[in-house]
Amino acid sequence: MFIHNFKYSLKTLFRNKMLIFWTFAFPIILGTLFNLAFSNIADTEKFDIIDIAIVNNDDLENNEAYKTVFKQLSDESSEDRMFNTKYVSEDEAKKLLENDDIVGYMKLEGETPKVTFVKSGTNQTIFKYVVEEIAQRSNMLSNIVEHEMKESVMPENINTEEILHKANELAQNNEIKLKNISNKNLDYMMIEFYTLIAMACLYGGILGMVAINQNLANMTNQGKRISISPMNKAKLLISSLLAGYVAQLVGLALLFVYTVFVLKVDYGNNVGLIILLSMVGSFTGLSMGVAVASLVKASDNAKSGILIGITMLGCFLAGMMGVSMKYVIDKNVPIINKLNPANMITDGFYSLYYYDTLDRYYFNVASLLIFAFILIAISFFSLRRQKYDSI
Amino acid sequence: MENVIEIKNLVKQYKELKAIDDLSFEVKKGEILGLLGPNGSGKSTTINCILSLLNYNNGIIKIFGKEMKPDSYDIKSKIGVVFQDVSVFDELTVYENIDYFCGLYIKDKETRKKYVEDAIELVGLKDFKKFYPKKLSGGLLRRLNIACGIAHKPELIFFDEPTVAVDPQSRNNILDGIKTLRDNGATIVYTTHYMEEVEILCDRVIILDKGTILASGTTDELKELARIEEKVTVEVNNLDDKYIENIKSNNNVDEVTYDGNTLLVTYIEGKNNLVDMIDYLKKESIKYNKIYSERPTLNDVFLELTGKELRD
Amino acid sequence: MTVFKTFLKILKKNRGMVIFYTVLLLVFGGINMSANKPTTEFEATKPSVLIVNKDEEVGITKDFIKYIKENSETPEIADNEEARNDALFYSDVSYIVYIPENYHNDFMAGNAPELEIKRTGDYTSEYAEMLVKRYLSVASTYQKSIKSEAELIEKVNETLSKKVDAEITSKLDTTTLSKASFYYNFASYSILACLIYIICLVLSVFNSEKIRKRTVISSMSYKKHNKDLLLSNCVYAVTVWLLYVIASFVLVGDIMFTSHGAVYIINSFVFTMCATALAFLIGRIVSNKNAVNGIVNVVALGSSFLCGVFVPMEFMPQSVKAMAHVLPTYYYVKTNDAVAELEVFNIETLKPLIINMGVMLGFAILFVIIANIVASKKRKIG
Repeated sequence: MFIHNFKYSLKTLFRNKMLIFWTFAFPIILGTLFNLAFSNIADTEKFDIIDIAIVNNDDLENNEAYKTVFKQLSDESSEDRMFNTKYVSEDEAKKLLENDDIVGYMKLEGETPKVTFVKSGTNQTIFKYVVEEIAQRSNMLSNIVEHEMKESVMPENINTEEILHKANELAQNNEIKLKNISNKNLDYMMIEFYTLIAMACLYGGILGMVAINQNLANMTNQGKRISISPMNKAKLLISSLLAGYVAQLVGLALLFVYTVFVLKVDYGNNVGLIILLSMVGSFTGLSMGVAVASLVKASDNAKSGILIGITMLGCFLAGMMGVSMKYVIDKNVPIINKLNPANMITDGFYSLYYYDTLDRYYFNVASLLIFAFILIAISFFSLRRQKYDSI
Repeated sequence: MENVIEIKNLVKQYKELKAIDDLSFEVKKGEILGLLGPNGSGKSTTINCILSLLNYNNGIIKIFGKEMKPDSYDIKSKIGVVFQDVSVFDELTVYENIDYFCGLYIKDKETRKKYVEDAIELVGLKDFKKFYPKKLSGGLLRRLNIACGIAHKPELIFFDEPTVAVDPQSRNNILDGIKTLRDNGATIVYTTHYMEEVEILCDRVIILDKGTILASGTTDELKELARIEEKVTVEVNNLDDKYIENIKSNNNVDEVTYDGNTLLVTYIEGKNNLVDMIDYLKKESIKYNKIYSERPTLNDVFLELTGKELRD
Repeated sequence: MTVFKTFLKILKKNRGMVIFYTVLLLVFGGINMSANKPTTEFEATKPSVLIVNKDEEVGITKDFIKYIKENSETPEIADNEEARNDALFYSDVSYIVYIPENYHNDFMAGNAPELEIKRTGDYTSEYAEMLVKRYLSVASTYQKSIKSEAELIEKVNETLSKKVDAEITSKLDTTTLSKASFYYNFASYSILACLIYIICLVLSVFNSEKIRKRTVISSMSYKKHNKDLLLSNCVYAVTVWLLYVIASFVLVGDIMFTSHGAVYIINSFVFTMCATALAFLIGRIVSNKNAVNGIVNVVALGSSFLCGVFVPMEFMPQSVKAMAHVLPTYYYVKTNDAVAELEVFNIETLKPLIINMGVMLGFAILFVIIANIVASKKRKIG
């Protein structure tokens, strides 16, 4: 009997086109769109060669420092290449700037450099920074020379040449080493895909809701028919819910396969924990479906509307429409996101991806389970009812 | 005879409206009981209370001699219901729908298969087994609705207006099916607001209005309740007043109306009224075009009892 | 008139959806508008850098922290490693420097340890690293010859105070303009969603078998009926457009009264016409009411993602941009983005924008033609 109902519940769920669209196809479509739109962001945020121009006047000819530095930094064979430099007249430079071919140009007037841009920006700041550094370095050299001269025991014996050489050497051999201890998994676009999984988990609640409604005499006509049959109601509900859960997991599995193999989403390496989180996430979705089905008094359509609305709001707060939203909420009003199942699912994946320790992950899983059990417990009392005041 | 259903003092109150008001009746084994009443008279509410789907404020409901509760599974297994609204899954085919609902009662696969086929046969859906409900016409859909309710061969079947908005062919098919079910030994409670169906089908009728019983009995018993027994209509031109007075003076005549073309005579007792009238007309050498007599219908009974038409 | 009345009824019943997409526009369009005074002077990009100092805040350590703080933003982040890690992941901080205990003494002694850092991989973290390296490099160079900490700090500061003049040629208020572009780009999403949703629902009602039979056999000519329907759709579309334009005056402000604003308004009008035609076409093809919601989401989200509404077009892969050429939204967004950078208005500079609008109108005409073909094919019931 359990299996009979389970089998037919699965059939009705899988043949419901609208249901399958929202729970199966929509997340995949959305994931594809994310991928198309975001795939390049990480690359464009990486450092690019900056197009600049330098005004090719006599002052530049006479200034070794600027000439060499920009030559070095524009060297195509060098790994440290920063600029693509054009040496042109001032008029040409202006034209290049107007046509958006360069971010800015530098002009030396005597010893003093001046940079011109169309607007402010990071590339412009970097260009300006490099020019500044050259000026600063020459200031530093003269300071050191001056200092060395003062320190010299015999001022009359000064070998200016030697001091200058020494100072230059000091400045040259001064590569500052920094030890990068940050995690390698820093691609925050992954959050978008995690929210997608969260969305699919919670949309799965609609499956649970439909599965429940089928058995409720006050919701569907079929439910009336089922209620008058000699079947134990709890048994029926559980088998229908199980069917909803299985359908949900099938959809989620498809989404995982698609995101991992086609969209190349990185969920970290711990497959077991990924599966556990997805199953717990789906279960939370299911519990939301059960709660809405049993506690909300509204039409079927209104109930799916409520579920879709809650899910989208949750995903929005979890960073689906802009990853920083999740961070802003986490940082300023953490309680909202701790009560937001979409965020807890997203955060679970995030902690698997980013953190080496699992404390945060288990906290997420545990919260989701508690959330789900509370909802189910509340729904249980309503579902136990077999008679209605009105149908 | 054994009572299949016993209802005593049933009261169901919606917020302001008293849907069922102190209702008591029995259904006897093997009979077809008609629950007749206009829309909103409490027919469906009564059935839903009997089935323990609705809470009721007061009263005792016994089925097969035992009190009916939501978990009276042994009772439920012997009941079949054909609801007013089509209650099937859009996502399942005709066969799957019947099999699903039958499966809630019959565990054995082989038996179930046979039962499902029997039900399909009974309602005449043999050519539509693989069809989805959306592809069925209104009448066929009603038949599927019936098959889903009766496939498990219940001993007690409720039909809640199964023929609303159904074409005549499907309707006859449905009524024949119900008779077959009765002949196979089922007890049937049939609600409708179609008079003709009750007259064709039911052994006994209860007329409901505003949640109370207006009258009950066999169709003939009910008809006797109405004072009118027979109507004779004569199409005749320019009848003289003295003849009308003559007819009126007959003891058995209740009322006579004449509009210059048609003479309508209503009799209190249904004896040989038509023959008497023809004799009288011959005797007086009155020429007439047409003469016919009508037995009263349940509609007349209902009109008589409540002062309003049934089909509204 | 009957057509129009029915239209209003359906609109009233489904106003929730229209309100939803409008609020979305106002919230997202509005969030971006706040703060940031317009500027035409050069402003250096300031990366956000966090310093975790385990040393005493004295001497070279203090000065290093001071320099970094002057040249960067310091976000408020809770003092624990998890909060810092989160901040780094979500780019709230691009760079974290850990200063170990006793750093200033070790530094002056000439054996400063390698500093541990955490950084994101983006642009600004690159720049932040430059700042850190610059200070340390200058300081350690001086350290090799200057032994007094106070003198060293003084010299370092003198060197680092050397700045270069920067000039900005554009007189445009680019920040506000780019915000206006964002608003109008986002509006394309709301316009598409609102129009397709309502128009499809209306058409599906008129298309439903029973009503279609009735209209086909009614005395109202098929053409007149269609014309009324198209007209009501246009009235609705223009209302939505007008609403969003008015909202833009409130949110964006003065700039809407300039020639830039005029181009945004005209461009969005052309787009609205195109979207109406598209909605009309979809409504003609799709007769299932339940499918409308799904289609709205796929079409509106799809064209918004592909055409740079949510993510600026410059960030998108070449292949996606190429694909987007077949969507009218692409030309709309391209025009908006171009307006933000437009310095002078003349035939020459406006030509590409006019071409874009022409393409949108072309799309609109194409949609209407296809819709009519579909409709006339469906006229016979069978």
